[in-house]
Amino acid sequence: MSWSYPYLLYLLPLAVLPWLSRNTEKQIVWQALLPRDSVSAVIGLTLHVLASATLAALIMALAGPHIPEHTVQRSGQGAEVIVLLDRSRSMDQPFARRHSFRLSTKMNFKESKRSVARYYLTEFVNSRPDDRFGYVLFSEQAAGILSLTYSKETTLATIEAGGLGRGLSKTDISVALKKAGEMFEGEVYRGARIVLLISDGGQILSTEQEQQISQLLRDNNLSLYWIYLRSVTGMTLDEMPGESILWQGAPERQLHSFFKDLNVPYRAFEAGSLEEFAEAMKAIDQQHYQTLLLDVKMPRESLADYFLWVALVSLLLLSASQIYTWLGVTRAYRSKH
Amino acid sequence: MSLSYPKRIFLTALVMLFGLLMIMAALWLPPVDREVDVMDSLFVIDITDSMNVQDVSFANENINRLDWAKEYTRQAILSMPCGSHAGLAIFSEARSLILMTPVEVCANYHDLMQMLSQFQPTMAWARSSEVSKALYTAIRQAKEITPQPTVVFLTDGHEAPPVHETLFPKFTDTPGEVPGIIIGIGGSDLMPIPKTNESGEIDGYWEINEVMHRDVYASSRGDAAELNENRPRTEHLSSQKKSHMETVAKRIGFEFISSPKSPQNLIKEMQKISEMRQQPVKYDLFVWLASIALVLLLLVFLPYSLFSKQHD
Repeated sequence: MSWSYPYLLYLLPLAVLPWLSRNTEKQIVWQALLPRDSVSAVIGLTLHVLASATLAALIMALAGPHIPEHTVQRSGQGAEVIVLLDRSRSMDQPFARRHSFRLSTKMNFKESKRSVARYYLTEFVNSRPDDRFGYVLFSEQAAGILSLTYSKETTLATIEAGGLGRGLSKTDISVALKKAGEMFEGEVYRGARIVLLISDGGQILSTEQEQQISQLLRDNNLSLYWIYLRSVTGMTLDEMPGESILWQGAPERQLHSFFKDLNVPYRAFEAGSLEEFAEAMKAIDQQHYQTLLLDVKMPRESLADYFLWVALVSLLLLSASQIYTWLGVTRAYRSKH
Repeated sequence: MSLSYPKRIFLTALVMLFGLLMIMAALWLPPVDREVDVMDSLFVIDITDSMNVQDVSFANENINRLDWAKEYTRQAILSMPCGSHAGLAIFSEARSLILMTPVEVCANYHDLMQMLSQFQPTMAWARSSEVSKALYTAIRQAKEITPQPTVVFLTDGHEAPPVHETLFPKFTDTPGEVPGIIIGIGGSDLMPIPKTNESGEIDGYWEINEVMHRDVYASSRGDAAELNENRPRTEHLSSQKKSHMETVAKRIGFEFISSPKSPQNLIKEMQKISEMRQQPVKYDLFVWLASIALVLLLLVFLPYSLFSKQHD
């Protein structure tokens, strides 16, 4: 239990006042004339105690007793998800279209891959009440701007901010993946851990980078999902018979085959359109409902009411006795005069 | 004044009953609605190299400008009434990048601080520092956010590459449409600017020949001769550029506060210039009612006899 205004407790000595005051007692000539009555002595003592209790309880209630905000653990259904959203300039462009004869110089940010990603990520976050989210901003550098949090408000605000303005420079997926892995380091294992990579390009990684990434992903028990936003019409991540020779060995494909060879759960989704993107998100949503340990924040709980109850009961008894005294005294006075 | 004995007892009983009533009200009266003025803000923090200069102090400790900006932002967010919203953004190159749109400050304090602590010079995506253009983009993006936040821009005002007074980047929006405040950071002496490497460590200082000392456009114009004439080459050094920030602030309709002493300076200014939102909060009257009860009972039990004895 803690106090909001502990300095008010310095007022507690005021509770001895009832023992000092004599102002409701009748003045008598000589103390020794009073008959000794043990029952009255007990009653007198009780009344003093009640008065002290009332004062003390009121002072303590005003000092704001409460149980501070604390967290308790419960188990839920969900996963810990780190979102890696590509902030590079290419994400400002719309999805690659199959048949487009128009050349447009005007960029439509409403349909840009980034704003589409923002829209579906928002839906995704909203549909998963128990998940814990983190967010890595990356282009050429990566910063884990949002560490894993239960707050839907901050998660959504970060995703929304990701849709504002233009893209930054180029993409470096390796630094982003490393950052995502680092964000789980030192965290207690609570359940499924997902890295959700959304990007429109691939990258050829060096052997050293490959090693670092596979180490981080394995050490931290991560699953990897890649939503690949197609920027070349028709190109798939896996090789297809009879396709263009130009696509062979494309960075996207090399990254894909590296991910496949990793010893971690991995799945790629290819999205060439809004609908496909939505489907990919839905598929991921269905995949990961496992038991997850959750920290739930219990709000601070005020205990002032208990003290008020003490004050209420003791004051009730005190006033009752006072009224009883008054009735007795008035009757005595009336009979005398 | 003296009261007869029965009257005294009656009065005491009456006061006690009234106190009882107050305690009952404190227990059972439902909380009342009260309107509280809350604000929406967007903090934009300069993370360019010049912010690494150690020439500001906080609590008698010499710290760098970026740490000062972060600490000031933290205190400002802490001083806002619950229900207020704050968002975070960084500025590097020639634009502001919003990282979190405004969220409620009390419930999300922890996440806001976590993000704020991540702000490092390494997050910069380019190594220039065009303050005025960054302000323009902050304004443009603030307009896309509802409810529209007041922009708080924390910077030392150092433009790199420098801007010539007559060749200012054009501000195409209406000045004052988005309210905002520029917080000037830094000392008044010119200091060398530390260079940071990829991992954020300080690695030497910017040298005189590594930076531009003149506006790029001004130097390519015909009147360049006049411009080049004996101008001091000090752009590799940095101080708080007060007059520049004042000019920019006037142009875009912002306020300018130089090195504020307490977060209250900012909060007061924000209350003046931004449209406050009214947010109803539940307000429990129990404190007042219980205090009345306490005072009444203290009056009953005060040892009057100790004071009145002399009169006997």
